[in-house]
Amino acid sequence: MAAAGGKTYSFKVVLLGEGCVGKTSLVLRYCENKFNDKHITTLQASFLTKKLNITGKRVNLAIWDTAGQERFHALGPIYYRDSNGAILVYDVTDEDSFQKVKNWVKELRKMLGNEICLCIVGNKIDLEKERHVSVEEAEGYAESVGAKHYHTSAKLNKGIEELFLDLCKRMMETAQVEERSRGNGASQTSTARRGVQIVDDEPQTAMPAGGCCTSG
Amino acid sequence: MSQRSERRGIHVDQSELLCKKGCGYYGNAAWQGLCSKCWREEYQKARQRQIQEDWALAEKLQREEEAAYVSSHSSSQTQPPQSHSQPSLATFSKFEEKKTNEKTRKVTTVKKFFSPSSRTAPKKVPPEKESEKREKEKEEKLQGRRESHGETLLRDLKGIFTQPWDMGSPTEESHEGKTPSPSITRQSSIETDRVSRDFLEFLKTLQKPGREIHKQSRAFIESMGNKKDLSAEELSECVQDFYQGMSDRLLNHFKGSSEKVDRVMDQVEKYIMTRLYKSVFCPETSDDEKKDLATQRRIRALHWVTIQMLCVPVDEEIPEVSDSVVKAITDIIEMDSKRVPRDKLAFITSCSKHIFNAIRVTKNEPASADDFLPTLIYIVLKANPPRLQSNIQYITRFCNPSRLMTGEDGYYFTNLCCAVAFIEKLDAHSLNLSPEDFERYMSGQASPRRQDDPAAWLQSGSRVNPALSQIHHNLSVLSNLEKRQQQVMEGAQSLQTELAEWQDSVAREVQEILERYPLEIKSRASAIDAENVENDRLPPPLQPQVFAG
Ligand SMILES: Nc1nc2c(ncn2[C@@H]2O[C@H](COP(=O)(O)OP(=O)(O)OP(=O)(O)O)[C@@H](O)[C@H]2O)c(=O)[nH]1
Ligand SMILES: [Mg+2]
Repeated sequence: MAAAGGKTYSFKVVLLGEGCVGKTSLVLRYCENKFNDKHITTLQASFLTKKLNITGKRVNLAIWDTAGQERFHALGPIYYRDSNGAILVYDVTDEDSFQKVKNWVKELRKMLGNEICLCIVGNKIDLEKERHVSVEEAEGYAESVGAKHYHTSAKLNKGIEELFLDLCKRMMETAQVEERSRGNGASQTSTARRGVQIVDDEPQTAMPAGGCCTSG
Repeated sequence: MSQRSERRGIHVDQSELLCKKGCGYYGNAAWQGLCSKCWREEYQKARQRQIQEDWALAEKLQREEEAAYVSSHSSSQTQPPQSHSQPSLATFSKFEEKKTNEKTRKVTTVKKFFSPSSRTAPKKVPPEKESEKREKEKEEKLQGRRESHGETLLRDLKGIFTQPWDMGSPTEESHEGKTPSPSITRQSSIETDRVSRDFLEFLKTLQKPGREIHKQSRAFIESMGNKKDLSAEELSECVQDFYQGMSDRLLNHFKGSSEKVDRVMDQVEKYIMTRLYKSVFCPETSDDEKKDLATQRRIRALHWVTIQMLCVPVDEEIPEVSDSVVKAITDIIEMDSKRVPRDKLAFITSCSKHIFNAIRVTKNEPASADDFLPTLIYIVLKANPPRLQSNIQYITRFCNPSRLMTGEDGYYFTNLCCAVAFIEKLDAHSLNLSPEDFERYMSGQASPRRQDDPAAWLQSGSRVNPALSQIHHNLSVLSNLEKRQQQVMEGAQSLQTELAEWQDSVAREVQEILERYPLEIKSRASAIDAENVENDRLPPPLQPQVFAG
């Protein structure tokens, strides 16, 4: 929800993707500039904020990590309602994780329409030798669904700043468009509100929950 | 409010069956012999009376508060109070609109009143005692329905020990849920007063607009007093519209500084929600209460879920971790005791922080969502927080949206919603169990925690539930006791024979000794002189001598 008319924008961005693709690593790299580091200062890496200044406008970015395990999949809609942007992460060495991204895109578009800015992110490009998802395929797919595609490496700190900066700019544009259209429309009872709802996804093929690195 | 429409009923002669008002419809004993329509009218009149009373009270309070405000803020006295347009007028006209819909809602209220799930102990209050019901309502309004911690704990303990077959018993439903504790009455009015004072103090720092904010907030609370029969969603809409209007105006005033706006809005929310809490928390028009009970029962039925099944990354063996877990549980339970949505949120946040600490200590790395959510689910299952659904709905409906949607509090709140949704939908797959195991645990036929129990061998394949295994356990204890008793008996017997032997041997010994040293008893002389050996040496006895004279 962007601060209407104010100089400060507040954006909510959700991180989606299969377990182990590097979601947590990406945000920790972005907000703390650390990777697999024992000296990370935050108590948690599930909700992080970042203040930005983009072309003179202040932006408060709230980044929401989501539980990626299979068994929590149905909870997605609760996480991503009211979000301005979504970062869909896959691991370039893991074709499965790219398929998961496609599912997320479908679901997000169905639930939130075009109001949400989508970023598809191929992470771990430092493992180029083991790449299993072709660049052309990924970029082609992103374009076909109106999303932007990025290549990142949390390990080498590549492409991450660009990713978030780009996303913020796009979200600001969307917010400005919305503001303008709201200004034209008569009254804005912005009260099509926040009911908690869960969408049953198609029956999952019974698959052991928790990926390779579930702790516990 | 007249709402008589044309008659359509068939006239029937049996006058005793007809509505006492003589309107021509059938009466009903449950409606004091009135027909549904007249009953509704009666009910509404009474209701109207009460609304007027409330209104008068509210006006009086406002006058008092205005006076207090003016006297404590004399600098702005020069400004005539009516100089600003009254923005809440819009809501008033809306309110008129809504009145027309009220009829239909009244029906649901009445119905609710008769339905067994009605919260005012329906079995004890016969429906014809309308006044009584109002009394009750008032009482409830005053008391609030907060359960004390002790009660919650007790109930949760009960939950742990309740056997699965009486978990769903219908009688239980009406007993739990709302337990008014009379001691809250005073406390709550003190709290309301304190919040009002704080609000006034805060507004003073804002100079001129403070007065306007105060006036509008008061007017809004009053207008809400007349809307008690609106559905929960409509109530929410009213409050959210108010927030929106207020923050738009503030944003103008503060020239776009959303931080300042948020600060004021926090205070406004605190002020109005402290006052509205009683009437809008878990309102009768919603099914929040039913959901509360369902969730509570569901959590109870899941008492067997272990840390391992949820893949919770905390190790409760570590003292600091188990300490954090206890604190998290306390916080999530405590949330229910707060009236202001933001205060409730604060408890959820505090609960989450304790969870993060537990994870951090266990794993020594910052928690991600994949660590946090399962742990939160585990905490909710362990705590079984009172009125969880009502609280979630209340926060969703009445919290200032800017806090709820992008802030940190909002993130934790969302996770709590996720946890509840997960618990509601949880199945074998979500716990990595086979469907058979899941069924057996759910029905109480087996318990994952009891596997290494000494009584486990008794369960060999048969359908054994906890109570039976308890009986088996008792039986084995009994047979053990019997064995020991036998041992005692044997011991006693051998002791007895031993004693007898000893007696004999002693007797024998005595006999032997007696034989060895026979006792010779010489017979004693019976005359005194018999034994006198020297008898003959004695002089002869004196003879009598006669002398002639
Ligand atoms: N080589 C390489 N490894 C990475 C990169 N990003 C993350 N990893 C590794 O991938 C593993 C998983 O990273 P996480 O950040 O925990 O992944 P996640 O998506 O948050 O996983 P879940 O929290 O389980 O959903 C870790 O061992 C990381 O060190 C990267 O850019 N390059
Ligand atoms: Mg993660």
